Amino acid sequence: MSKFERSGKAFSLDLTLDEAHILINLVEQLLELLGEGDFFHHYDMNDPFAQLMSLQHEVVAPDDSVLLRLLPNAYNDPEAAGDFRRYTEPAIRSTKQRVLREVRTHLAILVDEDKAGTVADLEADTWLMALNDLRLALSVRLEINEDSFDLFESLPDEDPQKSIYAVYYWLGWLQENLLTLL
Amino acid sequence: MSDVSTLTNIDAALHELLDRPWLCIVWDDPVNLMSYVVFVFQKLFGFSKEKAHELMLLVHNEGRAVVATGSREEMERHVQRLHEHGLWATLQRDDKI
Repeated sequence: MSKFERSGKAFSLDLTLDEAHILINLVEQLLELLGEGDFFHHYDMNDPFAQLMSLQHEVVAPDDSVLLRLLPNAYNDPEAAGDFRRYTEPAIRSTKQRVLREVRTHLAILVDEDKAGTVADLEADTWLMALNDLRLALSVRLEINEDSFDLFESLPDEDPQKSIYAVYYWLGWLQENLLTLL
Repeated sequence: MSDVSTLTNIDAALHELLDRPWLCIVWDDPVNLMSYVVFVFQKLFGFSKEKAHELMLLVHNEGRAVVATGSREEMERHVQRLHEHGLWATLQRDDKI
């Protein structure tokens, strides 16, 4: 399985082409969900991940449960939460978009050349934040809780939810791998 | 007509109210890796690894923990940074008077 590597202060990640495709698809769908659709998409809108993620955004508390997890209410009080969202959410959203765009740029090099390769000189913080948001997004769709591992393990291999869980699990493994190198 | 002692009491109560700090609270969730939460606490609050680990365990075991206290503006800024990093954080007035 692909791993992050560290040499001095520089981090890199070797990826198979399949892994690069999975990652770039998720990153682009999450960018889209965060309201940024103005880029070339490497995935097909009929892709099951695309259908899981697609919808629109607004600056009131999001209806979509993934967005509500990524941009949660800061206050219990609805009025204070609304004010915080109006003034602060654009900055939070923009940080998330910046991080995902940076990861996308790295991945696009591999995907556009259509070959496995190394993502070199990556920023560990950026990748940790992006991997975390991808995991959060998938976790909402998969309704992850403390018992999920056993539940998904017990599903038949042909169940599509099981493959999405496998991706979720892999992202966690990658994130943990990078954290151990810091 | 106002009684001066009542006014003084109100004044004192008001001061107490305004002096009550705001709390930045992080909530447990089943997704964020323990090691990532420790990393975020160290990065955002400058905690030692031990202190960050201790706070992470408090969040994990108690379901939530106060990670910072101070002015409303400072706590809003912390919540913003925590949300940027994917942690589930809220702020509120300290309940204790």
